[in-house]
Amino acid sequence: MKTFFKYLRIYQKFVETSFSEAMSFRTSFILIIIMDIFFYASTLLSVSFIYEHVSTIGPWSKYQLLFFLSFMLALDQIHMTIVSTNFWMLSHDIRTGQFDFTLLRPAHSIFTAFFRHFRAPSSINCIVTFSLMIYYGSKLHLSFLDWVLIPPFLLLSLCLLCQIEFILSASMFWLVEGVGINFLRIQLQTLSRWPDFIYTYTTRKFLTLVFPLLLIGSAPVQFLYDKSKWDYILSMISAIIILGILLHYIWKKSLRNYHSASS
Amino acid sequence: MKSIDKWIKTILISLNKVMAYRFNFFLQVIGPALVFFFVKYNLWNSIYAGNPEKLIQGYNFKEMISYHSWALVVGLLTQGHSSMNLSEEIRMGRISTYLIYPIHFWQFHTAQFLAHQIIQTFICTLTLCCLLFFHVCELPSALFFFQALQLCFIVSLFWFSLQYFAGLLAFWLEETWIIRVILQTLSVFLSGAVIPLELYPQEFVKALSYTPFPYINYYPIKIFMGESLHLFPALLTLGVWIVVIWFLNQMIWKKGLRLYTGAGM
Repeated sequence: MKTFFKYLRIYQKFVETSFSEAMSFRTSFILIIIMDIFFYASTLLSVSFIYEHVSTIGPWSKYQLLFFLSFMLALDQIHMTIVSTNFWMLSHDIRTGQFDFTLLRPAHSIFTAFFRHFRAPSSINCIVTFSLMIYYGSKLHLSFLDWVLIPPFLLLSLCLLCQIEFILSASMFWLVEGVGINFLRIQLQTLSRWPDFIYTYTTRKFLTLVFPLLLIGSAPVQFLYDKSKWDYILSMISAIIILGILLHYIWKKSLRNYHSASS
Repeated sequence: MKSIDKWIKTILISLNKVMAYRFNFFLQVIGPALVFFFVKYNLWNSIYAGNPEKLIQGYNFKEMISYHSWALVVGLLTQGHSSMNLSEEIRMGRISTYLIYPIHFWQFHTAQFLAHQIIQTFICTLTLCCLLFFHVCELPSALFFFQALQLCFIVSLFWFSLQYFAGLLAFWLEETWIIRVILQTLSVFLSGAVIPLELYPQEFVKALSYTPFPYINYYPIKIFMGESLHLFPALLTLGVWIVVIWFLNQMIWKKGLRLYTGAGM
């Protein structure tokens, strides 16, 4: 418990400094909010336009898919707020040797590497994505239990997404220029942003069992729509546990491979 | 002659630079286009599930996939990423070196753009060969093919000038990547790269025809698919935009240079 509060206090400082940093570049602050809103609008409108011409995509109706997308957008927004900047900083820090300072801090290196930078403007947009999710959820007449389950499911999805990305980012320690890994990370996010049933059998199995990307969004939403699909949640929790162990091992190995560029 | 030599040397240096980080280049430029195509293929496959002859706004499954495969080709041919580092160079004070180079800043970046175009044309040719081999799309007549290629080159010039413009804003803004992403998101959505414009509401498409967006993707794709479209409005609209942005860039460069402090000198 003591450790938990210690990390909470450190994180509070990280958030405070990120906010004051962001407020000194107000134009960028506003532009990030606009950029995110354009992204939501283009995603949701594209799907709405398709539904003007078809009644279902796979087994899902218009509002089922729009709820799924708004769930993914909400997740994406939390992810962008909490961790996304850190991936870009990590590739820079490894290349320039500034990662030394991350290692010197009196906290776990995964925590300081991936939670140091909080993207303040994106936190404002969480209001928009959560409102969208609530709007489309109400169109589907979700039950009280469903609404209660959404926050822990978002947390589980975030956990799985972060673990996959942390493992992927560890490969930056082996590369001269790790920025390309960030583009790969973004592409994997694109794959996970669509429900699993759109993919062919082999792709679906691969992206669920071997590289559990599709569990991020499909597992919680499929369970919300059909409570008999509890195996999705079980697979998701199993994936989180396995990837957690794997991350611990890979991260240790990666740190051993780090050659401080500044020393 | 000396001037041409300067351009060729700069293009060669830029080619070497890109090839030195091949893995990054693949993940940054080729990867996104391929993944985007893969997702669209799967999405439309599930929409047409079991009924490939179903018509959605005039498109059966084969035509829809053909549309998206040409969208992949157009995307690879037109969307350069050469001016990505431009803003960083301004912010970090690296443009000081350009001021003493025997080549102007815009010339250097235009040469870099041409180098990227050479690589992307090569990659695009390989991609197209694969698509043709697997019968995902068909080649149109030579006339349509060269018309579409011509339009693609103008679109790539348009993109380059727009990205150059966004990069130059680094004289005033801390983060210019945000503007680039906004432009990218808007153009992908409004140009018919995600879904054909026939699927959009009619009023919306009518409004779009006053902007350069349909000419960025939809027009070249349709010409590649063998549809006879008037090329003149597309060339005129994009041409006017390129000239306007070019003048704007000259103005911003002059104003920005007065603000420039040459950090780190």
